[in-house]
Amino acid sequence: MIDLKFEQKENIGFQYVLDALQPNSPYGEEAIRKLKPFTPTEKPELLRQLNNVHRVMDGEALCQNDLNRMLRVFMCAKNIRTTVVKCAEAALNEIELFEVKRFLLQIEEMKPYFEAVQTAMHLEGVTLEDTSEALEILDPEHNRIATFYISDSYSPRLRAIRKEKKALEDVMRRVKSGPEREEAQAKRVRVAADEEHEEGRIRGELSESLRPLIPAMLHNMQTIADLDLTVEKARLAKKYGGVMPEITESRVVLENMINPQIADLLEERGKHFTPVSISLEKGATVITGANMGGKSVALKTIALNILLAHCGFFPFAGRASVPLFDGMHIISEDLESIDRGLSSFGGEIVRFNQVAQNMSEGFAFILLDEFARGTNPDEGAAIVQAVTSWLDTKNAVTVLATHYDNVAQLGSAHYQVIGLKDLDVEALRNEIANSHGDVGVELIARHMNYGLYRVEEKQDCPRDALNICRLLGMREDILAMVENNYENR
Amino acid sequence: MKPTLSELIRPYRSVSIIGMCKNAGKTTVLNRIIREVAGNGQTIALTSIGRDGEDKDLVTGTKKPGIYVAEGTLVATASELILHHCDVTREILETTGVSTPMGDVVVLRARSDGSIQLAGPSITKQLARLGDTFRTFGADLVMIDGALSRKTLCSRSVTEATVLCTGASYHKDIDVVVEDTAHVCRVLTLPELEEGETAGQLRELDEEFRGTLLFTEKGPWQLPAGLSLEDGLRRPEAAGTKTVFFGGAMSDGLMKPLLMSSAPLKGMTFAVRDSSKILLKRENYDKIAIRGIDLRVMESVNLVAVTVNPFSAYGFHFDKDELMERMQARVDIPVINVEDNAL
Repeated sequence: MIDLKFEQKENIGFQYVLDALQPNSPYGEEAIRKLKPFTPTEKPELLRQLNNVHRVMDGEALCQNDLNRMLRVFMCAKNIRTTVVKCAEAALNEIELFEVKRFLLQIEEMKPYFEAVQTAMHLEGVTLEDTSEALEILDPEHNRIATFYISDSYSPRLRAIRKEKKALEDVMRRVKSGPEREEAQAKRVRVAADEEHEEGRIRGELSESLRPLIPAMLHNMQTIADLDLTVEKARLAKKYGGVMPEITESRVVLENMINPQIADLLEERGKHFTPVSISLEKGATVITGANMGGKSVALKTIALNILLAHCGFFPFAGRASVPLFDGMHIISEDLESIDRGLSSFGGEIVRFNQVAQNMSEGFAFILLDEFARGTNPDEGAAIVQAVTSWLDTKNAVTVLATHYDNVAQLGSAHYQVIGLKDLDVEALRNEIANSHGDVGVELIARHMNYGLYRVEEKQDCPRDALNICRLLGMREDILAMVENNYENR
Repeated sequence: MKPTLSELIRPYRSVSIIGMCKNAGKTTVLNRIIREVAGNGQTIALTSIGRDGEDKDLVTGTKKPGIYVAEGTLVATASELILHHCDVTREILETTGVSTPMGDVVVLRARSDGSIQLAGPSITKQLARLGDTFRTFGADLVMIDGALSRKTLCSRSVTEATVLCTGASYHKDIDVVVEDTAHVCRVLTLPELEEGETAGQLRELDEEFRGTLLFTEKGPWQLPAGLSLEDGLRRPEAAGTKTVFFGGAMSDGLMKPLLMSSAPLKGMTFAVRDSSKILLKRENYDKIAIRGIDLRVMESVNLVAVTVNPFSAYGFHFDKDELMERMQARVDIPVINVEDNAL
């Protein structure tokens, strides 16, 4: 099961995407709250939703006004799902009946817009059930006004009671004091009780007649939620550049992905997100690169876009092929809870054990960010090597980011952060030397290429760390010793 | 001929009614206005701050008159009270989403005469929005059953006019009733700060500002936290202070040492947001005027009448003419006896 913790969703930028949705209706809001990733068996429903996002993107321009009007009907409305569900077993009170009536009127109001929208978009599996019969029950006089009153026309007895009550009230208006008023007042108390009783009986009857129409009402709430969410997904796809994913058996291909949360943050600082491309097969893929090199950003972006596809969003990529996983697991030191009283390293191991134990539960996506970084490098490397070899043979797509040596060759594929690879280090060094103040780190960050490239054969150690030391003006004599150490490895 | 209460409130579209204490006759006044105004064919809308209209006064156990509305009246009250404690025939108009301990506030139209109980919003902003809702349903006069402890809700930004109810239930000594009521009237009707640069700058101020601002010859200077005003006024930064604005409450603890000090206060203006911020004992309040300070508010209350109830819920009563006369001698606005039929 894909069941990420809130902190994990927040960390990879999924919560940011959810927060960027601006649903118009309380039903859309509810749908976002209850959003769950689809499992492989739910593929048809996922495809329906994805196709609908596509159709909204294509057809929106043809019916923009109708679409806006339709969505506006339920703006500021109250979610009355629990009231409708309650109606199945109990009599509704008059305030609840009012809310049901208003909902039914809103459905009538949205109907013509809905039809115009559907003519333009042909959304799959999105229908509006006819609930006019229910409205008829709550508005027998065809006033079509959004207020509710237990009308005299519901029962001759009610009409008679109210007539009597009115007559007594007239007496009380006319006679300010004395026995005549007191008699009228006492009588009125009894008649008001009769009215209450008769109204109660009618409310019971009304609720009962509404009962067969409950499924239709709930269906329409679902339709509103579905429409609202689909339109919002399409809006985000346009805003951040989403693409219809191809649902594959096991292969992941994500080209030029972005992560909106990080992209927006960089944008604010006048920088740009470097798109990430990767393709993953069953087995372990290792990502290496120097610190400062954006391995974590790459991992978050991969996890985010895979999760988005599972939730019926268009991944924010140029091209996307994604399989449906039974499980998704992120193991990252900064996400392992310290509240369990374990060291961060211990927390990671406990978490890994849980994942390893559940490998039989189906096809999984596993992400390890700098696994075992909290322990000493010799032991850490040995642990990561073993974990990589073990995961490489399992029914899972695994991505590991590490800066430990001799791990990459144990996986099925190896990616490296481009980093400073294609850069003229000498030119940048001059730039840093000629600029004022402490801007070295800033300049390196700006020239660092955070993209990934696939390493096809065994390569030399990337030496980005050495380059960074050089750029930041480490003493020449120490640099010479570092280089000497590289040669002797 | 003295004007009646309904004549006094006729020019206004919204009125709040507040009492010096429980059983001061607030509900009687409400019922009178409802009867008279509804008789003119006007639509009244009713709500309250907090809960009122209970059958029994929760404190004294005395029987209280219920609010009896006429057909056509608009009412905003908590859903529990509508469902279980109203005997009018009801048309539900709107659910507001404003919650109270007795359910959300719902707006209804009375389709018969009958009694209701009120429990409305307790936040100024919600009350203002409710006023708009009432108007869309055709209200001519919005009446708010208020509370003395919530004076902010009487500000003219919320209700255009206010009626203060007092009576024998407040205290067994008629002198205390008259003097305390007169004091509350004076505080409620403090004049507004005159238009000008200072008033303009204060209007720009964040509503949540709780500090003290000195308007010196060089402009506004905020009194540093921990520094008393009497010491602050001696600082060079305070040179030429004409006006002092108190963002927080003006309490006895704050004002007494200042008023006893030798600080040169004569001719200064002290300003607060509204009269709810003045929490002073009468002796300290009176010293402000004695020291030659001009006390002002940003937003005043438009107090149009004081009603008196000579009967106490505790079983004694004053002479109604004596109470009327003595009260009228101490306030500039009309004083009206709640039990008087000419109300």
